[in-house]
Amino acid sequence: MGLTAHTLRHAVAQAAESARRAEDELNAADGKVGDGDTGVMLRRLFEKLSAAASPDQEDIGAVFQSLGAASASATGSSLGTLVTVSMLTLAKETRGRSELPWGEFGSALQKVRDVMMARGGATLGDKTVVDVLDAVATAIDGLADPREIYARAWLVTVNTLDAFRDKPNRLGRARMFAEKSIGLDDPGMLAFSRLLEGLEPQNVR
Amino acid sequence: MKKLMNSADDFVDEMLDGLVAAHPSLVREERVIRTTQGAKSGKVGIVSGGGSGHLPLFTGYVGRGLLDACAIGDVFAGPSVDSCMAAIRAADSGQGVLRLYGNYGGDRMNFDLAGELLEADGVRTTTVLGTDDIASAGPEDMHKRRGVAGIIYAYKIAGAKAEVGASLDEVTAAAAKAVARCRTIGVALSPCQIPGASKPTFEIGPDEIEMGMGIHGEPGIWRDKLRPADRIADEMLDRLLADPVEHSSKRVSVLVNSLGATPLEELFILYRRIAQQLAGRGLTVVQPLVGHYATSMEMAGCSVSILSLDEELESLLGAPAECPFWRV
Repeated sequence: MGLTAHTLRHAVAQAAESARRAEDELNAADGKVGDGDTGVMLRRLFEKLSAAASPDQEDIGAVFQSLGAASASATGSSLGTLVTVSMLTLAKETRGRSELPWGEFGSALQKVRDVMMARGGATLGDKTVVDVLDAVATAIDGLADPREIYARAWLVTVNTLDAFRDKPNRLGRARMFAEKSIGLDDPGMLAFSRLLEGLEPQNVR
Repeated sequence: MKKLMNSADDFVDEMLDGLVAAHPSLVREERVIRTTQGAKSGKVGIVSGGGSGHLPLFTGYVGRGLLDACAIGDVFAGPSVDSCMAAIRAADSGQGVLRLYGNYGGDRMNFDLAGELLEADGVRTTTVLGTDDIASAGPEDMHKRRGVAGIIYAYKIAGAKAEVGASLDEVTAAAAKAVARCRTIGVALSPCQIPGASKPTFEIGPDEIEMGMGIHGEPGIWRDKLRPADRIADEMLDRLLADPVEHSSKRVSVLVNSLGATPLEELFILYRRIAQQLAGRGLTVVQPLVGHYATSMEMAGCSVSILSLDEELESLLGAPAECPFWRV
């Protein structure tokens, strides 16, 4: 078993709902060291992605491609562009396949992490979304049970947010307020956690 | 903050609709603004782009002798990769396209990715980044500086060079020279707020100013009590002239720019002092610009830019050009 086009579309729809729910919280988190618009950007982006996930596609690579294309069109924010390159990377990895086996999910996320670092210029430890993605990709590497993958992913996401909260941001606009960012969640990392949280039917908080 | 708008989600698109309705020389294609006549045959194309919220920057400089097309993003967010690609395509007549935009991480990501994707189609592009904000990094880290109002000089210089049939490499070199010889510093009095955002971009006391603050509220050099305009002008000028420029000359152009809410009256008070001080230092001002050239919506404050001219730059600066917000 693995991630299919159907489950991917469902996940994107859930992410759109999560982004809508988290809009104000993410705006507020971003407002402490940034422009205060991460929430509104993410909500708009996932609305577009949800609309772009065609119900006709069975090729999971094609679904990722259409999500990447929609993202490339929908936003130019740094976080949004990282979503774009993530989707295009996963499209390349899964082109022509009807599913991405769960056992390959961790290595696929590692490729996404590497592309994000190359495109965005982040290094591990900068307190960006890349740090939480790295933690998840590493923690689920080789796991094949989706429930176990989710549980591990959620655990390391929470732990990573906790571990980085008292560190300074070292990239993006927040790096200019490095001291002020100590004690705050990075908005990108927080957004990742809210999207992941929304994938579980039960509220896991 | 109070804003005249219908909804935050429609802010940019309705603004762009109004821009092209008011200026028939411009055409809107999604999040790209281009000239009505399109890419001019045999001419190198020039594109720029960035986040909305800075009018007349960026879209307002599309016109003859300036930009051919512009990709525009949400307020203070970079243009999408698709918009960057579409703007480059709109500007390309087969002679190549200069990507000329401010040095911001998101803009770089998107224009770089757009250029890479278009390489496969045989579109040749070059890049020059605006890096005129002297408060954003020291002279030893010039490449880390952000681009602010001074980029309009690079638009004008590159645009004029392209109009006379120069090659892509020549247009690129002219733009790079304009950037290398331009310095800007800003001072902020009050913030703005992104439509839909939770709060203003920064907080500042009612009697405070911040020297060197960036156009998105990036931290500056110092924050202190408001002081007389002449003292502010003197410090801005001192800082600008102390920043080393290779081959600086005695002939300069000066741009005194409002960040949005600061009125022309106050800009002229500043320019009066700056002109006096420059004359006192033996510098001749050519084509001074005073007004709203690169703003941050309702942010109060100003920036001062100085372009050190040589014969080529002065000639290109004086060449005919026409866009909705600047005519030479």
